[in-house]
Amino acid sequence: MGRYALRRVAGLLPVLAVMIVLCFVAIKLVPGDPVMVLLSDQSGDVELEARLRADYGLDQPFIVQFGRYLAGLAVGDFGYSFRYANVPVSEIIGTSLAITPILALAALTLAVPTGIVFGTFAALRRNRAADIITVFLVVAGISIPNFALSAMFVYLFAIKLDLVPVAGWGSFSQAVLPVLVLAIAPMGYITRLTRTYMLEVLSQDYIRTARAKGLRNRLVIYRHALRNTLVPLLTTIGIIFGGLLSGTFVVETIFNIPGLGRLAIEGIFARDYPVTMAIVMLFTMFYALINLCVDLLYGLIDPRIRLGSDGN
Amino acid sequence: MKRLTTQFAVLFAAITMSSVVHAQTFRTNIPADPAMVDPITYSELVAGDVMGNMYEGFTGIDGDGKVIPALAESWEAHDDNLGFTFHLRPGVKFHSGRPFTANDVKYTLEELLKPGNKGGLNARYLNNIVGADAMKSGEADSLEGVTVGDDLTVDIRFTQPEVLFPIYPIWFMDAGIVDELGADWAQKASAGTGPFKFVAWNRGQDVQLAAHADYWGEGPHVEAVDFIIVPSDDTAISMFEADELDAIYINNAAEGRRILRDPQFADKLIKVPAAQIRYLGMNQNLYEPFKDKRVREAICKAIDRDGMVSGLFGGAAFPLYGQITPGVAGYNPDLPAIPLDVDKAKALLAEAGYEGGANMPPVKVTTTAPNKDEATYFAATLKQVLGMPTEVEVVERASHIKAMNAGEVPFFAWGWSAGYPDALYFLSQVWYGPSVYNRSRWQNDEFDALIEKAQQTADNEARYALYKDAELILMEEWGTCPLTVRMQIAAVQDGVEGVSLTPFRFRPFNTVTMD
Repeated sequence: MGRYALRRVAGLLPVLAVMIVLCFVAIKLVPGDPVMVLLSDQSGDVELEARLRADYGLDQPFIVQFGRYLAGLAVGDFGYSFRYANVPVSEIIGTSLAITPILALAALTLAVPTGIVFGTFAALRRNRAADIITVFLVVAGISIPNFALSAMFVYLFAIKLDLVPVAGWGSFSQAVLPVLVLAIAPMGYITRLTRTYMLEVLSQDYIRTARAKGLRNRLVIYRHALRNTLVPLLTTIGIIFGGLLSGTFVVETIFNIPGLGRLAIEGIFARDYPVTMAIVMLFTMFYALINLCVDLLYGLIDPRIRLGSDGN
Repeated sequence: MKRLTTQFAVLFAAITMSSVVHAQTFRTNIPADPAMVDPITYSELVAGDVMGNMYEGFTGIDGDGKVIPALAESWEAHDDNLGFTFHLRPGVKFHSGRPFTANDVKYTLEELLKPGNKGGLNARYLNNIVGADAMKSGEADSLEGVTVGDDLTVDIRFTQPEVLFPIYPIWFMDAGIVDELGADWAQKASAGTGPFKFVAWNRGQDVQLAAHADYWGEGPHVEAVDFIIVPSDDTAISMFEADELDAIYINNAAEGRRILRDPQFADKLIKVPAAQIRYLGMNQNLYEPFKDKRVREAICKAIDRDGMVSGLFGGAAFPLYGQITPGVAGYNPDLPAIPLDVDKAKALLAEAGYEGGANMPPVKVTTTAPNKDEATYFAATLKQVLGMPTEVEVVERASHIKAMNAGEVPFFAWGWSAGYPDALYFLSQVWYGPSVYNRSRWQNDEFDALIEKAQQTADNEARYALYKDAELILMEEWGTCPLTVRMQIAAVQDGVEGVSLTPFRFRPFNTVTMD
């Protein structure tokens, strides 16, 4: 298990290398020019343009720029932001770094248990009114886009009822709405999947055997059925978590949360290459690490899944 | 269950109440983090919103958009017109407590020019000071053309006349700040004389300022200003509705239209034209029919400015009949309107030999994605009304600007924002022959001569008269097709007084009072 984990971590390095090359090339290919953004209404000042290009190393050939970037990365230097005068990328990202994962984790913490409970609840009442209502709500939750849900919640809870602030970051009350908005779609997915898996598991022979043994219903559901439902669910939760991490930008913008998503959008619009690069790298690492964690967790939940050939 | 709900409600109420800031903090929105908060590298709009409250120049702008003396009480032009003697306001104190003197003026100008300091937007105003080149190249470490007389007198000489120097927005800073706080002082404090001083900048969240108790002018009446960073105007409007913001500035056109229509905001809005001209650029070198004045006039008369204002802009604009915006010194309110006149437009085109668009080669109105609707209106109108074979071309912004500066775009709708409140900014940059920003390459010797004369005329009224003549030539020649002026929209809560908009966004908040 330990060796397997180590091998997987080592496997991340080539992924990161390919990503850095792809991203660096892609950013250069996007139309736009950071220097023109900086010049604003001095776009015709040739002298100033040359100075700015030299300041940011943009006067060098592509391969030199890339080489310099790699050399910087090797010593942990992500360079300086183009938009923010004299500020290193690490400082800009540092303040946002924790916010997006906190947001995603909070949403996941809310979505997973509620999703599993609702899913199980619906599965056990298959085709009865409670099941149909749950399924309807789930479809609604998945279908309404984030921004529409945000607008509805803000209008209702912040403006009309005045229960929570409209936007901002730093207090518990400010986190309520964004976490809720982020949690609803995943909650829907998890409910639907739990219901499906549960129904499948409940029709298995071992469940019938357990019931025939005279085990109490509660024990059958929680010890036997639910545990086997969790394995396929885990993959989905991993994917959802990845989606939450990289998909918070709409919510971050609407609720004024200074997270990575919003920073990425700002970076892209301002053609702030170094900031954009660093954030894409971070997101890639997040995804890779989540996949790794999911794979490792399989073994813990289901001992039948052996990891690595040396396990046998 | 019911008890639990009640407990939650109480909890929520407690949390909400604890997040309310004291009543004497004035809260407003900015759309992004400022790119910087120091006056040397200063180079963008949001930074300007914040820094305008901390830093001041020789002059300021009053509630009506008029230039008023600020750090300079008075000044006189040198006899040779190649310089000014400024008499500084006595008793002005920096945020540090140190007095503002002529040394600080010299220091600021030198810092802006020093190589390696990344002097920003304000450095461009110093190019004609004697010795500026030597400073920029690093040959000199003192600016030759600036002489400190006594504490309150400073003399500035130029290589060519700079009659508008007193109104250039150059923000003066405290020469002692680096000794006191080190090279990274801007992260710790502000070094200005303005009504508010820097407290904190929480990246992505807000920039907090506090009242400068020793401010020389009116106020400040509130204890603090909090610039909350709100990227979405929709969010800003919601925050305003929930009383989380005391005043908002609308940055986006769509939200501007929305708030303008919403009756609940009707008595809370301030509406002021922006210092930004918009025009149709017609490059005669690149499209043969533009060479004929009648064609240019026909195009201008085929466009329905009032219709654009009510339709395209939902009321959030004003029609423009010249190339100087209202509120900018030199604006001529008596210019004749350019009403929609389809018959006249058609007749003019026929006279020029292009009846119904016959013989006209195809042409594209080039623009960027945010202005696509507007360009589509022009193309469709010119096609329908005049039969002119016009299409829309949407391009990326940076390459568009480069191409326009190079004089390579035949037909475009674009704008130009003034950097200071004087019409020379528009006329000398956008329509003066040798200017690189004369993007449609319209050229008229008489116009150019008037602009050159204006650049040497220190007397305001005499200079405005020259602008008037020049603008008339531009319009009589149909060198341009003026379009509209954007309406700046701000909303202010009841009980908050003294917030005002200039053509250049909010005025400093020193006059603001709150219940």
